[in-house]
Amino acid sequence: MNSAMLLWAVFLPIGTGVLCFLIPDKAKRFREDFTSIAALASLIISTIVFLGPDAHFQTAQMKFLPASFLDFYSSDFNSFLIVFVSFFGFLVSLYSIKYMDGMKRLREYYPYILITVGAANGALLSNNFLPFLGFWGIILVTLFLFTTIGSRDASPEKIFNAASKNMLILGGGDLALILGIGLLWQLSNSLNMSEISIPLHGAMATSSFILIATGAFSKAGAMPMHSWIPSMSTAAPTSTLAFLPASLDKLLGIYLLARVALDFFELNFSMNLLLMIIGGITIIAAVMMAMIQHDVRKLLSFHAISQVGYIVLGIGTGTTIGIAGALFHMLNNAIFKSCLFFTAGAVERRTGTANLAKMGGLGKMMPLTFVAFMIAALAISGVPPLNGFVSKWMIYQGIIEAGIAQSWIFLIIAMLGSALTLASFVKVGHSIFLGEKPHELGEVKEVEHSMKFPMAVLALICIVFGVLAQIPLLYFIGPVMGISFPEIGAAIVWTGFWNPTSGTILLLVALAIGALIYLAGRGMGMRTAPPFIGGETIGEGTTNSLNRGGRLTEPHETRVLGTEFYDTIRNMGILKRAYSKGETGSFDIYSLGKYLQPIGWILSSWHNGRLSNYVSWILWGLIVLFAILAFIN
Amino acid sequence: MLFSHGLMDIFYLVIFPGFIFTMTIGLLSTQIDRKISARLQWRVGPPWYQPFADVVKLLGKEIIIPEGSNKISFLLIPFVGFAAVILLSTMIWLANIYPDSSFVGDLIVIIYLLYLPSIALIIGGSASRNPFGALGASREMKLMLAYELPFLLATFTIVVKNGGIISLGGILNYQASNGAMITQGASCIIAFIVALFYIPAKLGEGPFDIAEAETELASGPLIEYSGVTLAIFKLTKSMLLFTVPIFILSLFAKNIWTPWTILWYLLILFFIILIKNTNPRLRIDQALKLLWFPLSGLSLAGIILAAVGL
Repeated sequence: MNSAMLLWAVFLPIGTGVLCFLIPDKAKRFREDFTSIAALASLIISTIVFLGPDAHFQTAQMKFLPASFLDFYSSDFNSFLIVFVSFFGFLVSLYSIKYMDGMKRLREYYPYILITVGAANGALLSNNFLPFLGFWGIILVTLFLFTTIGSRDASPEKIFNAASKNMLILGGGDLALILGIGLLWQLSNSLNMSEISIPLHGAMATSSFILIATGAFSKAGAMPMHSWIPSMSTAAPTSTLAFLPASLDKLLGIYLLARVALDFFELNFSMNLLLMIIGGITIIAAVMMAMIQHDVRKLLSFHAISQVGYIVLGIGTGTTIGIAGALFHMLNNAIFKSCLFFTAGAVERRTGTANLAKMGGLGKMMPLTFVAFMIAALAISGVPPLNGFVSKWMIYQGIIEAGIAQSWIFLIIAMLGSALTLASFVKVGHSIFLGEKPHELGEVKEVEHSMKFPMAVLALICIVFGVLAQIPLLYFIGPVMGISFPEIGAAIVWTGFWNPTSGTILLLVALAIGALIYLAGRGMGMRTAPPFIGGETIGEGTTNSLNRGGRLTEPHETRVLGTEFYDTIRNMGILKRAYSKGETGSFDIYSLGKYLQPIGWILSSWHNGRLSNYVSWILWGLIVLFAILAFIN
Repeated sequence: MLFSHGLMDIFYLVIFPGFIFTMTIGLLSTQIDRKISARLQWRVGPPWYQPFADVVKLLGKEIIIPEGSNKISFLLIPFVGFAAVILLSTMIWLANIYPDSSFVGDLIVIIYLLYLPSIALIIGGSASRNPFGALGASREMKLMLAYELPFLLATFTIVVKNGGIISLGGILNYQASNGAMITQGASCIIAFIVALFYIPAKLGEGPFDIAEAETELASGPLIEYSGVTLAIFKLTKSMLLFTVPIFILSLFAKNIWTPWTILWYLLILFFIILIKNTNPRLRIDQALKLLWFPLSGLSLAGIILAAVGL
């Protein structure tokens, strides 16, 4: 029964997605409800698969296909991932109802969500490389199509550029993946994932590993295959950013990386070191870029890259706790990053802008969005007792276990990375929610319930997975790694120790001390008064005469822009040069494309649009094919 | 059993070595600071109970909330930093008293909890709707980035040196059997010197009082705070004045559960007071340059020395 559930988990979302295309634009409400219900059904099926025993499904021998072509199986690893894939699909479909309201091409948008969920489930559950690659490709296509739908403020040219960049970088990554799998097939003589486990010896195995890892890196967005995420961030709808680059692509990319690094190959020291170096560079370079961004979506997209660095670093440690931490961080990152994108989308919906300089003081008007943002931002910065801290802490334990005398530099980089992460979220918090509201921004309301719900749920999970970290560790991560984690209430002990539950309780007790002091002093009352700005009074009109003398007293005129917070750092000697290079795309693998342009010229010169030309090409191709076939036989 | 264990933890947190103890010593330390600073400037200085009187007086003042600010964040955030310092102080002292027990968390947890008082200052200043507060918040964040790098390098010099012991109790046990960390070679001496610079930077004392900068920003993030909330910030800072040096001492100078600690602590306190009174405030870019280049370079050299075994 459970093995049939595997088929349902893959083909129910895909099937309902295809059906969803048929729903006409007039039945808008029905389409939205249909998508949410289908995603919910997929969530239920995935949960059944997760709760059930490991299952296996194989097709029998067919005429054209080899036996066990469709070969699905569920294990401890992929079964919890499909739960989260469907969960994010459900939240995104709910969020989109209001967020995407009034956008074009909604008739395609909702089906794509369901198809993506199904394809992601398919890629995760596949045991055979061929269907795996098929599903993997579908996700690239839907990502491309999502990007072409475009965000509200993006110009067609920008959307075109971003979409083609997605296609090229991710397509290149997928090409590397296919080549890597081909080499792996040569080496192991099997396309069956569960059968492959070979030592990493020789050039062929190493290049196969690097090629497959490149595919995983491009999906997850690790450097140097990262640059599609920032360009997509300003071109695509924010809901799709929360869906693909922030959550699903991370889960898939890291799933592949973990499989290749743990199951297919037995890594050696130099490959581990390579992974750690890539992780370290990704953490620090991406977060430095994030700090200086003015567009909240772009800023978040750089964090989406930076956090992958932690995961790659954790896997690179090669220690059990480091890898467990990396997998936990993969999950946590998907949770808080999509929550952050959701809050950014909510703010964007209400203010019509994603420019940090044009917002401010929204915390009062959008309280739930603000609280969800704060929780997710502190979680991503690794502030205890939230979930990001636990997984980072586990990765650090892994680094120390890998040999502190050699790997201290990665520890310092990773810890400094979280201070820098905090810094860039301080900037966002000040610019959007705290600080001063700009005059141009009128009255702003909180978003609708269907948008609040996903943010609130994800923020809540950030707290639960932090304070009661034993729950995800016991049920999701522990079984994958074969570690038994302690029960709730006990400390997680490794080289060091951290007791999230008692730590939180004691923090709350200490807060209660503060509350008592507050109650002791509150008797004196409370009143509001205008902010004190050098003794000048702030009022409507009264200060206009003073303003003419060059003195600014209206709060919105003395607004300190969050976007200027780190100009000091940006303009520092060597950093200034690095930043100007980063901004012009010198570190972007995509810009290497210009060296390939001559090939493009040759290829485009062949495409002259003359029919006879194409017919002759087809003929020549057929002749070559026949020659090869004849030669083989 | 579990319940009495929890009750014991709460005793630690509230009475000793947590809130009451840390607050008392912390306030007394600020008194020492004020008295010595006064004497250095040929003033008489306040009587011994002045810091306590200040807190009590602030408790008796009304709270003024800036108009149109984010009220909840503005009022709530001081308590977060306050709670974190209480927990930190308890963790550090308990590691010293019972090095074998595992109370709450290890060195990494302590380093991350040390973020919270600074975050409180930043969010408080940012929520106050005052441009001076916002400027102060941005400076505090930059300062945090500046001192975090040399501090991390200095702290992990010790971990590299002791071969990966990461719990504070474990570090103290290691020192009990191998001698104080500071006596174990050049790398640790360098790390200790860097850590000494970390203390005034973390506390926002001169020459690193860049965020509060009374004469420029009129206390920066604290400008709009009054009454209880200001008292909480003052208490947080005075407790940090006690907790941070004790943390550095536990890392470098053996167990602090001895009378000698008083002398060590007073020496560090005197060092902070001296630097504060003899050096003008740095600009934020100067502080960044100082902490990122010479000091981080120095501590980088230290940790490399430790990695090769010196």
